[in-house]
Amino acid sequence: SGVWNFGSLLGLCLITQILTGVFLGMDYTSDISTGFSSVTHIWRDVNYGWLIRNLHGNGASFFFICIYMDIGRGLYYGSYLYKETWNIGVVLLLLVMMTAFVGYVVPWGQMSFWGGTVITNLLSGVPYMGDTLVQWIWGGFSVDNGTLTRFFGFHFLLAFVIGGGTVVHLLFLHETGSNNPGGVNSDGDKISFHPYFSYKDLLGFVIMLLGLTSLGLFSPNLLGDPENFTPGNPLVTPPHIQPEWYFLFGYGILRSIPNKVGGVLGLLFSILVLMVVAILHTSKQRGLTFRPVTQFLFWTLVGDMIILTWIGGMPVEHPYIIIGQIGSVLYFGLFLVLVPLGGWVEN
Amino acid sequence: MASRAPAATGRLLVGFRKWYYNACGFNKFGLMRDDTIMEDSDVKEAIRRLPEPVYNDRMFRIKRALDLSMKQQVLPKDQWTKFEEDFPYLEPYLEEVIREKKEKEEWAKK
Repeated sequence: SGVWNFGSLLGLCLITQILTGVFLGMDYTSDISTGFSSVTHIWRDVNYGWLIRNLHGNGASFFFICIYMDIGRGLYYGSYLYKETWNIGVVLLLLVMMTAFVGYVVPWGQMSFWGGTVITNLLSGVPYMGDTLVQWIWGGFSVDNGTLTRFFGFHFLLAFVIGGGTVVHLLFLHETGSNNPGGVNSDGDKISFHPYFSYKDLLGFVIMLLGLTSLGLFSPNLLGDPENFTPGNPLVTPPHIQPEWYFLFGYGILRSIPNKVGGVLGLLFSILVLMVVAILHTSKQRGLTFRPVTQFLFWTLVGDMIILTWIGGMPVEHPYIIIGQIGSVLYFGLFLVLVPLGGWVEN
Repeated sequence: MASRAPAATGRLLVGFRKWYYNACGFNKFGLMRDDTIMEDSDVKEAIRRLPEPVYNDRMFRIKRALDLSMKQQVLPKDQWTKFEEDFPYLEPYLEEVIREKKEKEEWAKK
């Protein structure tokens, strides 16, 4: 079905981000005194610089739309039972998140600086060497020039690490072949890649590029934060520090736990929980296509993630605190208890 | 009076099971329950032991279901697998495979 398009769409997203990123890198300077203004220069003076920056920024959002849909497809249809492919996929998700995080610091706006400060400070929760670790990452005693130069380098490098990881991901996928909505063995019913899947993927590419250009040309700042139009200033803290939308669910979980280390572990395990899904698979059927009880739980998880995303963007006050805490408990409860129980009941 | 209560409960249970069977939806693709069992190593061995006509029927049903799924269609209602007609054709072979595996493990421990 259409949800199998997101793998190839992620490949297209990666190519788009690398191409636009390389062109941005030709005019960007990774120095705190010129970084923000070089982005302004790209936007105003470089031929089609505004379009390249637009596509790169909104392309990141589409990257996350595609990766969350790909993971959702994997969870719904039991594709995680291809364990090697799935686990490399989780590593790719972590790499994409790291790339997006350091990439958001690069323009050196207010949210770039303060978001970078908040998240890098979380590492101080590591026992014994936390503070040393943070200063090592920063390249100094705060988020400063040393941080920006290395974050730009990491952003550039990690993109190609993701490319390599993608090749390994596909290598393992091609050992088994793809899953299908019925979760049945399809070895007896194969069709050639061309023309069936080449045209299917091409249609997917056209739809996604249409979406990306529509967003970029009609509403380019819809998903952005207005604070990032202000140059980063360590002396002025924005009233509401929040990451981009794709990190808000994790941010909601992080802030729900009233303990720094606990919050960091919650954030980490909100992603790493994906690695235990295969171990906790209890049903005799692979996917949820023929399992109405677990289907309900899946959509509860989707709703919970939407609520956590909303909570992540809200201030830390009543009633958002308790909603976030219930949402966080439900998130882990669904993965670790309710869905395995659903599978067992359906058996 | 006491003998009627279990009969009523039994009818209720069968009614629920029939409702759940239809709610699952695999019957709309002409599949049987045992067609949808995930193929781990035990199930693969059980499938290998199926008599040829049973195996061929299974492959036909799965191929038909894959084709319908690809076209986003289901069978006409009169062709849906009925709850009463579905039978666990794979179960005896699967139980045999699991029993043999456990026996092998017991022998390996000695």
